[in-house]
Amino acid sequence: MPSRILRTLLPFLALFLAGATSAQQRYTISGYVKDASSGETLIGANVYIKELMKGTSTNTYGYYSVSVEPGTWTVVASFVGYEDVQRSVTLNSDQKLNLELKPTAIMSEAFEVVGERRQGNTEGTDMGRVELDVQQIRTLPALFGEVDLLRTLQFLPGVQSNGEGNSGFYVRGGGPDQNLILLDEATVYNASHLFGFFSVFNADAVKNIELIKGGIPANYGGRLSSVLDIHMKEGNNRKFHGEGGIGLISSRLTLEGPLVKEKGSFMISGRRTYIDVLTRPFVSEGSQLSGSGYYFYDLNAKANYTLSDKDRLFLSGYFGRDVFDFSGLNPGDPKFRIPWGNATVSARWNHVFGPKLFLNTTATFSDYNFEFRGGQDQFAFSLFSGIKDYGLKMDLNHYASVRHNLKYGLQYIRHAYTTSTVEVASGDVDFNIIPPPKLYAHEFAAYVLDDFDVTDQLRVNFGLRASGFMHVGPFDYLLLDDRNAITGEVNYARGERVKTYAGLEPRVAARYRLDGSSSLKASVMRAYQYVHLASFTSVALPTDVWIPSSSNVKPQESMQYAAGYFRDLVDHTWETSVELYYKSMNNLVEYAEGAQPQGNGNVNFDTQLVFGDGYSYGAEFFVKKRTGHVNGWVGYTWSRTMRTFDDINEGREFPSRWDRRHDLSVVVAYEHSKRWHFAATFVYATGQAVTLPQNRYWVEGRLVSEFTDRNGYRMEPYHRLDMAATLKNKETREVKDLETGEMKEVPRRWRSSWTFGIYNVYNRMNPYFIYFTTEGTLASGNLRPVAKQVSLFSILPSVTWNFNF
Amino acid sequence: MRRTLIALLALAILLPSCEKEIVVELPDAPMRYVVEGTISPNSPPLIILTKTQSWFDPLDINAIAGIFVSGATVTVDAGSGPIALDQICSGSLTAEQIAQAAELTGLSADLLAAADICIYTKLDLSLLGQIGTTYALRIEVGGETLTSTTTIPNPVPLDSLWFRLAQQQPNDDSLGFIWARFTDPDTIGNYYRWAHRRINLGSDGEPKDATFIPASFSTFEDRFINGLTFDFNQNRTAAPFSSALDDENEEAGYFKRNDTVVIRFSSLGRREYDFYTSMDLNVNSQGDLFSNPANVKSNISGGLGVWAGVANYVDTVVCVP
Repeated sequence: MPSRILRTLLPFLALFLAGATSAQQRYTISGYVKDASSGETLIGANVYIKELMKGTSTNTYGYYSVSVEPGTWTVVASFVGYEDVQRSVTLNSDQKLNLELKPTAIMSEAFEVVGERRQGNTEGTDMGRVELDVQQIRTLPALFGEVDLLRTLQFLPGVQSNGEGNSGFYVRGGGPDQNLILLDEATVYNASHLFGFFSVFNADAVKNIELIKGGIPANYGGRLSSVLDIHMKEGNNRKFHGEGGIGLISSRLTLEGPLVKEKGSFMISGRRTYIDVLTRPFVSEGSQLSGSGYYFYDLNAKANYTLSDKDRLFLSGYFGRDVFDFSGLNPGDPKFRIPWGNATVSARWNHVFGPKLFLNTTATFSDYNFEFRGGQDQFAFSLFSGIKDYGLKMDLNHYASVRHNLKYGLQYIRHAYTTSTVEVASGDVDFNIIPPPKLYAHEFAAYVLDDFDVTDQLRVNFGLRASGFMHVGPFDYLLLDDRNAITGEVNYARGERVKTYAGLEPRVAARYRLDGSSSLKASVMRAYQYVHLASFTSVALPTDVWIPSSSNVKPQESMQYAAGYFRDLVDHTWETSVELYYKSMNNLVEYAEGAQPQGNGNVNFDTQLVFGDGYSYGAEFFVKKRTGHVNGWVGYTWSRTMRTFDDINEGREFPSRWDRRHDLSVVVAYEHSKRWHFAATFVYATGQAVTLPQNRYWVEGRLVSEFTDRNGYRMEPYHRLDMAATLKNKETREVKDLETGEMKEVPRRWRSSWTFGIYNVYNRMNPYFIYFTTEGTLASGNLRPVAKQVSLFSILPSVTWNFNF
Repeated sequence: MRRTLIALLALAILLPSCEKEIVVELPDAPMRYVVEGTISPNSPPLIILTKTQSWFDPLDINAIAGIFVSGATVTVDAGSGPIALDQICSGSLTAEQIAQAAELTGLSADLLAAADICIYTKLDLSLLGQIGTTYALRIEVGGETLTSTTTIPNPVPLDSLWFRLAQQQPNDDSLGFIWARFTDPDTIGNYYRWAHRRINLGSDGEPKDATFIPASFSTFEDRFINGLTFDFNQNRTAAPFSSALDDENEEAGYFKRNDTVVIRFSSLGRREYDFYTSMDLNVNSQGDLFSNPANVKSNISGGLGVWAGVANYVDTVVCVP
């Protein structure tokens, strides 16, 4: 084992040496790239030396560093939606250079400078990596007019949705638990509201959203399929600013501004639905629903402070809750209350050690919990579950040379899980339910990666991640006989090891440039996942419980191979790509057939689980027009995703729920004028695989269904067209100049816009689910079997009013 | 049920949904034999043998009659060698015998009268169930062999039964639920099943329920209640495919003042409990989006269904609050 590790590590050591021994004297230009109007740092902006056509891009804190030989150089910074900035620098020592870019009118062609080299699609080693423009997402049509970042991801090739209205996403055949969702580096465990119809991310509070669906670099880990990295806005550090909106089902308000001008800023953003308030007038007094309501809310807050040139602090948090209430009016009616939600906090410290070393230290806290409290008559019932994480991570960016860009890091998370816990009482009698033990675990990782320009054509990103997981006491494992009667217990003391897992995750991605506008890329990655989400149902519900790896629950593991051809056309205005991938997944976790949340009582947390393997392969085609009055993209995925579980489908291979042979998305935006903006989206996907009974039989006069093939039936294909139009008020207003008496145009401080949307324009009745039932009666002899298909959303208009000041 | 309720509420509050009938082309699945067999203390074994049909086969009385399998060789072994059961077919019974057979088997008298339906039992009463005895069942039919074993457990009584008004409708003083006080024995591993039958006469002059009707979620076990004494209630489950008026109006789900209700409280074994529990889930989750499709857990090897030793405690309650 050690020799194997050594052999894997040797090439890396060689690389470091190569980086360290470059003899030529070089100096470093480093600094931050910011938005000139708000002072907000820009993530992923390109900074390059014009004469050398070599450069870098800013990290997630807007920091960059480039090392070049002494001389006079032109430094260019560029970012989509901003005007380029050029500075001439005479370099005879290390230099600090902060660059500020001015936003242009979005998507206008004006900022494309002909002949300039742009870092497009074809430049980086990263594959399957997509950044979404939050500004653009806002102009796209949305269900009920609620701008939804996660739903927009579903328009990307390789990303599948889980049916109508669901904001959950499934990447390259991976399950919903295989997406690492980070909000300011803290894990978000349940990213949806209302059974998946809305996502928890309020677009007003978000600055940047990036999805990595393959070739995940070694600095991310813990999930097999994707990373969704979301950064909240830092807040305008120059002037006070607000924005908000009033929509059909919710309202939002965001305020931001300087804490200390140029030094620190804050942002606070809230959203609450008012379905409960709106429906109240329509629910008559005394009806069954009059005591019921549903709402959710989100609160995002962030503050940052620049201590010095070298040090910057950030504190951010998210808090969101869904609350569902039901209480009948009469004494015998059931009553229940179901609150659930996430909270995350992250505190970060950026420290610049020198022009080439940038350290970020983050402390994170994540909490997700679900509760169901109900009762009827003298019965009281409660079910709760949750997960609580404390994490600490350090990431060091080392801009070793113009050819080597290194990252090293350490990560630690302490997990505490409350598995499904049930309490039941009848009057004064509490049922004998042993509270299941909380589960505690430590998760560690260390990584190193080098983004290495081997030649002008070949760039390789080598990475190695070592990860480990330790389930520790206090923990009691019940010994059960075949009737699940308790025969004994194995006890683990506080801190005692229950089970340890560790593994090495090599990650390699390479880009070979064919010419200035096309390249070939390939990547291989191995990943381990130590935490799992098992679902009792076929839709994601908040009752789904996160569980750790333990003695019987092995870590999920995957290998993913991907290769692609990337080509930019018409001076990088068009990006095109074809990617092929194959992914194997082992030790996947599901609940056994017929498992129920209450079945977790007085047995072990893993008693109802079953384990299996899966694989997915596919081809993804992507054409994107980045700029211009008309822009957008077309994504098409051809794929297959299969599963094999010994205890499901009698051990036979079956298609996964999110297996889609064809998946097409079209997104088009059209800027008609400065005031009118139009957008349309279209999706087509192969029908979802569902399990339907094939045979039936009778027992005690009741009709029993026999299911033979898991996911053996395809619903009709899903397709839908949505449209939206946005009307902005005028950017300027006329005022009389007091000195000259002439009318002149001045910019408005208060801006507003209306967004009109139509969901499901041609009123397609897409299948949501299918069920079998009977109609008629036996007595009258007209009993007959029928299949029913339920559709959720017919054509739905929406209107939202947005403002900012 | 609980989850369905949440779903329905959520959908009702927020979402306009719509439903239509569709034609589903299902791949063929092989036919399997289904056993519905019981044996209880002082009664002969009773076995109904049927076969599966494709989900969309017709559901008229002829098609239903066609699922009953006759001509099988059925034996039950109580430990002293297999005893062959007799086949009795409704075609050879008098109207009175059909009525008795209907009550005994739970099959509809109309069905028994309309078709020649065969069941298997031991007519000469030489094989009667005994508490604690294990019975091995063997069925040979159409070249296939189905086997199972079951043991009759000890019966467990209910402490008391009473009727209480539900008060779920304003000013209502006739509709309610049946309540029971129950003490679970102090050994773990007891499994129970609840069924009721109203024996007072309905407007047609017949007993309101023709046979015992198991509750829609009819089973519970003592995993969480071992040794406890507690009260629980049951609402009234309708007979399968009932079109009775009181299963469709506001009385649906309730017992009514002055009903005379016989409660059959059965003790059974673990695997039999698993069968009925999973069957209840299977039957009741049809059309439930929030449930995973799950097959019924059979204790028959080589086929579907159940071979159940049950010990019944039977008591009667008159619905007077």
